[in-house]
Amino acid sequence: MNGRLLKTGRLLRPLFAIVCGLGIAALVMQLSGYNVREAYSALFTGATGIEPGAARGASQIALGTLPVFSRPYHLNTFLLAQSLAKSTPLLFCGLAIALGLRAGLFNIGAQGQMTVGALAAAFVGQWGIGKGDSGTFPPLLHITLVLMAGAAAGALWGALPGLLKAYRGVHEVIATIMLNYVAINATTYFVTHTLKDPNSAAAQSARIAKSAWLAPFVAGSNLTAGFLLALLAAAALAFLIGRTSLGFRIRAVGMGADAAAAAGISVPRTLIVTMALSGALAGLAGGVEVVGVQHRFIQGIASNYGYDGIAVALLGGLGGGGVGLSALFFGALSSGAAHMQTLTDVPDSIAVIVQAIVIIFVGVRYIRRNKRNRGTFNLDEMQPSGSGIGSGKAV
Amino acid sequence: MPTPHAFSALQAFVSATLYSAVPLSIAAMGGILSERAGVVNIALEGLMLTGAFVGIVAGQSSALFGLAAALFAGGLLGLLHAFLTQKTRMNHVVSGLGINLLAAGVTRYLAIRLFPNGLHIDGLPGSLFLLLAVLLPVVVALMLSRTQFGLRLRAVGENPESARMAGVSPTLPRYVAVTLSGVFAALSGAYLSMADAHTFSSNMSAGKGYIALAAVIFGKWTPVGAALGALFFGFFYALETQLQISGIHLTLLGIEWTSPFLLDMLPYLMTLAALVSVIGRATPPAALGQEE
Repeated sequence: MNGRLLKTGRLLRPLFAIVCGLGIAALVMQLSGYNVREAYSALFTGATGIEPGAARGASQIALGTLPVFSRPYHLNTFLLAQSLAKSTPLLFCGLAIALGLRAGLFNIGAQGQMTVGALAAAFVGQWGIGKGDSGTFPPLLHITLVLMAGAAAGALWGALPGLLKAYRGVHEVIATIMLNYVAINATTYFVTHTLKDPNSAAAQSARIAKSAWLAPFVAGSNLTAGFLLALLAAAALAFLIGRTSLGFRIRAVGMGADAAAAAGISVPRTLIVTMALSGALAGLAGGVEVVGVQHRFIQGIASNYGYDGIAVALLGGLGGGGVGLSALFFGALSSGAAHMQTLTDVPDSIAVIVQAIVIIFVGVRYIRRNKRNRGTFNLDEMQPSGSGIGSGKAV
Repeated sequence: MPTPHAFSALQAFVSATLYSAVPLSIAAMGGILSERAGVVNIALEGLMLTGAFVGIVAGQSSALFGLAAALFAGGLLGLLHAFLTQKTRMNHVVSGLGINLLAAGVTRYLAIRLFPNGLHIDGLPGSLFLLLAVLLPVVVALMLSRTQFGLRLRAVGENPESARMAGVSPTLPRYVAVTLSGVFAALSGAYLSMADAHTFSSNMSAGKGYIALAAVIFGKWTPVGAALGALFFGFFYALETQLQISGIHLTLLGIEWTSPFLLDMLPYLMTLAALVSVIGRATPPAALGQEE
């Protein structure tokens, strides 16, 4: 098989899914009586920050007159920053799910892992807090500790279904769904009791010390170094999967547990380690949300990022770079849809519809790939033979 | 002698338990049909939401027509799940997630577009659904154990290869089972909107589809077991509501055991416990979620 052909094929199918998603959503808007052109141009502006009109103020960069549109455009850096900020937790969660899928594990639990990660981060973030939320820790150290706490908590919450899968044969999909609800309720319990913000009736923790805050790149936005950390994580994941012996073991288990075991790979250990690493990535999403955006734990801090990460991973084709692009797309889509709702009254749930259609079209894609025997991974192989959901066998 | 007041309080508690169990029990029957046929169905959540929405919108002039439309829509979406998993061989979890998202997105979008100020419905009596929630598990149990279709359904769920060799194609039983599972889940959703809330609000299923799935597992993939599981979970809902109304707090060892958040965790923890065989092992159909 020609290598270049494979590359274009890998890019074309996700693009086809995206075009179908946007196309069907346009049809829905048209049929329900909205102005599709207006809606999509507002969505595009929210997604990319490119706006018509001359640049005004320090946060807008003139782009000059674009040839086709014969009117001046500018780049609204705030909108672009918000769009990239939205991609940050999506990228972490997408990577978490992609890593699990590489080992044949469907980690539906990123939502819960992100939530417990955020709680642990908010807890450590309060260390050394003084008057006016000032902190006694050196910022770099404090932020590192907070993020490590988030990753560690997420890793533990992820390792648990890994353990259940490896030693009790409990299917990770069911275990992680259950653990998501346990995590959401347990963390809410903590921030309504022991870790409650004494100054508010809301279900939230007190603010973390300022020494653990990440400063935004663009004033007023949520874009911080957390975004760079997510990009770094994507590169690290690509390296781990492609270049390390652990990555090899993960892929081997993903392609067939029996064969991997026959080759001397400890399947239970690989499953647990994969789930722990996957949970750590999701936990980092929670940590970054605390240090960069909320500066505390709030109920529902994981929004829907853990589940959205599944779409991110599937569209991205489970590679570091692909998941990165996919997270940028979904971040832009969601940020753009919010902008669209403000400007045009078109409900932002149009973004959810696009996401659903993309998932369905990409899901079908894997089958096609399998039939033509392309690529190394397909979702059909996700359940190694002999391991039905929760079947008696260990793997 | 219990006072009349205590008696009516007990009556209210039993009724709250039963009605909390109704949507779980009905949706769980959908889950059982699908999963016993070997198709993982985490789409229950989205199917419920669809039923809730369509029932309200189509039931404005006639509630029974609304109910029929809800069941039809649920069946259609169930058929989509069957098509995606069987024909295009999509991973069952991916298909389920896609359908859940589709239902969440479309119903919210349309609710905002069609009735931004909410939409009331007189709807249907809850007792109708209560009756169904009691009858359906029995009907499904008899269907699975006593009919030829039930036998085929179980055969393709346990061992599609043997079923095929015995001349039973896995395709038809699975299509029927998953479509019916959509109908049942939509019936459960219609209860939520038409008989309980008398209106639709976005994401009103609020995870009940997943709890129904938990009841399926808790009941070890048997209809009566799942119905009892639903009743058990319903009991905790009712208890939680009762505790909140009466303002009872029980704090022991620094933990407030009566907190709604802790009580909400119980169904999930007990399902996990059932899976790791702390309280009797729950073993799923052997071919569940597998490609042939």
